[in-house]
Amino acid sequence: MFVHYLDLGWRSLRRTPLVSLLMVLAIATGIGITMTSLSVYHMMSMDPIPHKSTQLYHPQLQTMDDGEESWSEDNLPYQLTYQDAKNLAESEFPVNKAAMMRSGFTLHLPDSEVRPTIENTRITHRPFFALFDVPFVYGGPWTQEQAEAGNAVVVISSTINERLFGGADSVGKQVYLDETLFTIVGVTAPWQTHMKFYDVNNGAFNNHENIYIPFELIEPMSIDTWGNTNGWKFENIRSFKDKLASEVFWFQFWVELPDQQAKQRYEEFLMAYMAEQRELGRYNREQLQFGLRDVNSWLDYRNVVSEDNQILVALSFMFLAVCLANIIGLLLAKFMRRAPEVGVRRALGASKRQVFLQHIVEVSLLGLAGGIIGIGITHMGLWGVRISQEYYTPLATMDLSMLLAAPVIAISACILAGLYPAWLVCRTTPATHLKTQ
Amino acid sequence: MLEIKPIFNALRRSKVGAILLLIQIAITTAIVSNAAFIIQDRLTFLQQETGYPEEDIFTLSVMTFGKDRDLSQQFEQDEQMIRNLPGVVDAALTNAVPLSGSGSASGMRLTPSSEQTDRNIRSAYLQGDDHLINTLGLQIDEGRGFRADEVIVSQDRSQISNVAVVTRTFLEEAFPDGDGLGNTIYWGGAPMKIVGVINQAKGPWLHDSRPDNLVFMPTVRAANYQHIVVRTEPGQRASVMRSIEDQMLTAYDKRVINYVVGLDEHKRQYNASDTLMMRMLMVLIVVLIAVTALGIFGLTLFNISKRTRQIGTRRALGARKSDIVRYFMVENSMICIGGLVIGCAGAVFMGQQLLTHFSLPALNPWYVVMTALAVFAITLCAVILPARRAANISPSVATRSI
Amino acid sequence: MLTMNNISKVYQTEMVQTHALRDFNLSVNEGEFIAVTGPSGSGKTTFLNIAGMLEPFSAGQYTLDDTDIGKLSDNQRADLRNQKIGFIFQGFNLIPDLNLYENVEVPLRYRGIKAAERKRRIDACLEQVGLGSRAKHLPQQLSGGQQQRVAIARALAGEPRFLLADEPTGNLDSLMARQVMELLEQINRDGATIIMVTHDPELARRAPRNIQIVDGQVADMTLYQGVPTQQVAGA
Repeated sequence: MFVHYLDLGWRSLRRTPLVSLLMVLAIATGIGITMTSLSVYHMMSMDPIPHKSTQLYHPQLQTMDDGEESWSEDNLPYQLTYQDAKNLAESEFPVNKAAMMRSGFTLHLPDSEVRPTIENTRITHRPFFALFDVPFVYGGPWTQEQAEAGNAVVVISSTINERLFGGADSVGKQVYLDETLFTIVGVTAPWQTHMKFYDVNNGAFNNHENIYIPFELIEPMSIDTWGNTNGWKFENIRSFKDKLASEVFWFQFWVELPDQQAKQRYEEFLMAYMAEQRELGRYNREQLQFGLRDVNSWLDYRNVVSEDNQILVALSFMFLAVCLANIIGLLLAKFMRRAPEVGVRRALGASKRQVFLQHIVEVSLLGLAGGIIGIGITHMGLWGVRISQEYYTPLATMDLSMLLAAPVIAISACILAGLYPAWLVCRTTPATHLKTQ
Repeated sequence: MLEIKPIFNALRRSKVGAILLLIQIAITTAIVSNAAFIIQDRLTFLQQETGYPEEDIFTLSVMTFGKDRDLSQQFEQDEQMIRNLPGVVDAALTNAVPLSGSGSASGMRLTPSSEQTDRNIRSAYLQGDDHLINTLGLQIDEGRGFRADEVIVSQDRSQISNVAVVTRTFLEEAFPDGDGLGNTIYWGGAPMKIVGVINQAKGPWLHDSRPDNLVFMPTVRAANYQHIVVRTEPGQRASVMRSIEDQMLTAYDKRVINYVVGLDEHKRQYNASDTLMMRMLMVLIVVLIAVTALGIFGLTLFNISKRTRQIGTRRALGARKSDIVRYFMVENSMICIGGLVIGCAGAVFMGQQLLTHFSLPALNPWYVVMTALAVFAITLCAVILPARRAANISPSVATRSI
Repeated sequence: MLTMNNISKVYQTEMVQTHALRDFNLSVNEGEFIAVTGPSGSGKTTFLNIAGMLEPFSAGQYTLDDTDIGKLSDNQRADLRNQKIGFIFQGFNLIPDLNLYENVEVPLRYRGIKAAERKRRIDACLEQVGLGSRAKHLPQQLSGGQQQRVAIARALAGEPRFLLADEPTGNLDSLMARQVMELLEQINRDGATIIMVTHDPELARRAPRNIQIVDGQVADMTLYQGVPTQQVAGA
């Protein structure tokens, strides 16, 4: 029967080619526009590390004096001071935790004629790689001993490894970062996350850094940040040492807390830590306050999904509604004109249900066609996004779920649009249209 | 003889089609007026005057890894070298690039104390030597620029300049009484006397709460990662940009030159998301109007085929062709006006929603009015073709047997 | 008042030419009641369409009240239809979205008559056909005979001198058909010229003058003196 309905639907669509085309185009553009903004939204708001996002937390400490204002909605500073980052990283619990910041170096090989390049570098603790499950091609993270000894060790990305060593195992080889010779201990494999969720300060959708070196080198090498530094009071910072001892914020920090119990324990630890620091003369405030957000609440808190995109998603769904109203109108006209034919069918014994289904199958066919063309339009739209805004390149793509969503949304929208007209048609009493005009 | 009442009655008796059309027109009006307003808002933002001759200026970044030379001295020589290049007007080190989205800002105070109760004026600041203001193509409008002997060249932060040149906007915010020039502002605890005023110069962030507040300080602090800004003769920029890396590396090779970028390109990159939003909204508007117009077109065609006999009868009863066209125009206008009334209310409501949930300015009612007029005109255009076709229906269909 | 000289009408389709009317000649005087009969496909409706200016003709001359119809523009023909001719269709052709009052009002509006005058005429016409109390009803709420009476009211409202009826009783049962017929006779007595197309010989015989069209030409013209049907039936 279904095949028969398909056949009837197809014939009916072909009988009014112009109107069918109009309806398919309406649904296709509706889907195209909606899916373009929805795809970008989907990528922006997608869980960057689904298997672990509820176990990774970013702590925040309220170090500011009473009455000082931060930029955040809850007045907690987004980042940590050097002192706090260092102290939190040195705690016994939990095992996996890392402070981090972005900096940069010139990178070149010893005895090479190739011009040096500037590379963004992540300065972090050893557990960084375990925290975020960073995959390795060769070697692995540096050891705790190497970090504590202040060894100049480096993990490079496969991109760099490809460029400098042609993709060969480069563990043990040496590169210059500025004027310092570093020994390669690991090469990371391409890291498949669309978002730099661990550091959203300078664009959440920038690429991962290509170079990683130990946090412990910050002091001896005076490595300053290339990321944001925010202060809340005037401090006379004359040297790098002053900055390290200051209250300015410039570090991100992540901990892995596998369960609720661990989270609770960590919260207690943070309170105890702040109380201890208050004894030492910091945290000049009445009430101690901290924040502990997991990955998704953190991204939400940092407004990673751009406002513009949210507006666009809202507008495009309204647009889809216009397309639907459009289609309902056309379907209504089309179906009602066919009422005499339906009268004959009903007189020949078709049940209401059969007539209804026949028309629903017909509109689903419209939806399918619209959805498929809509995918094409979406790809054009995303291409437009990519050439307009390079930064969105990793976002302006349709992943499998969006690819499947397009026809599903199109067909359900069409069925929704077809319900009323189909119901009207199947209500036709067989006699009405047989007797007179 | 517009037949408004009978048309209205007829519409009331076949509601659904009319209501659907009304909904379409209402939503279209609401979306288009808000989208058009946002577009206009972004367009104004993107085309705003920055104060700089953007096409003649470029910047480069220098990452020095060599430790065998004194940075300040090296950069002093570099500046001289660049200034002497053919086509170059002036060049200077700077701590930040205007319009680029990256820079430094601070709260400037009017008293030396750093009590939090004091008023402080948020402002971005640029540090460079006595060439910086000229290199950026800015003019001192009142007072004077920096003298060479006021420039502090230092690698640490221990010395702070004691004079400053500020933008007019900053001056007026700090000293609303008009006595700003010659007065003193405090950066941290350090006093700086305002010696000159520039009418307009945007800071690094066009989206800042105070995009026009900018303070120039005659300080050169050569850094490992250093920006240099260069202004060329009109039309000469491209060739200077091409050769600058080689020139810099010939002078000293233990460094990397990158990000040789025009000031207009800096602005373009900073504004990319606004440009994108604008383009997407434009596409949305065009397609939306096209879909609505096509929908009206299709629906009218259908209505006409449904009413062929009726139209023939009307013609037989003495309707002229123009009466038939007018009938459809009036019918459509009535639905359209109904839709526009709801759409205008919807647009205002939507504007308020956008205002409360997002950082958008309040919707200008003019946009709603203009959109309504445009939508009205477009719907009439969409009807006129099918209506003409209807008018050509022969009156003899009235006698045709079924 | 109506003269047709050598009128012919050719329908051109891709394959064939069809001569619907051939050298058709007819003259109608003021106040006549003419019944047009003939087998189906003979050209009755084409004749009616041309007489009512619903269709252009291919050749010949058609004069209505000294006006050469062939020389009129579309708009002039529309105006002339509106002023001089009232139509009664087989399918009634009432506009389903309009109530009775509004249906009758349609031709008056096209003539640009003032609202008060329109109301007077519509009320009078609806009263005349016996539907004065149902002005607010929609056509679908009425029986076929009632609908046809509304259509007659609509044709009368413009006070036409010339009434064209196309199978006015074709969709009606005999009782209703008789009522409609009586109404038409009454209208004719009041002074209007009527041409009625019908395939019902009994009905045709009630008309004083009969025209039979066969193959697009006038085949037979019978003039009955006096109206009584019985007399005709006996002849």
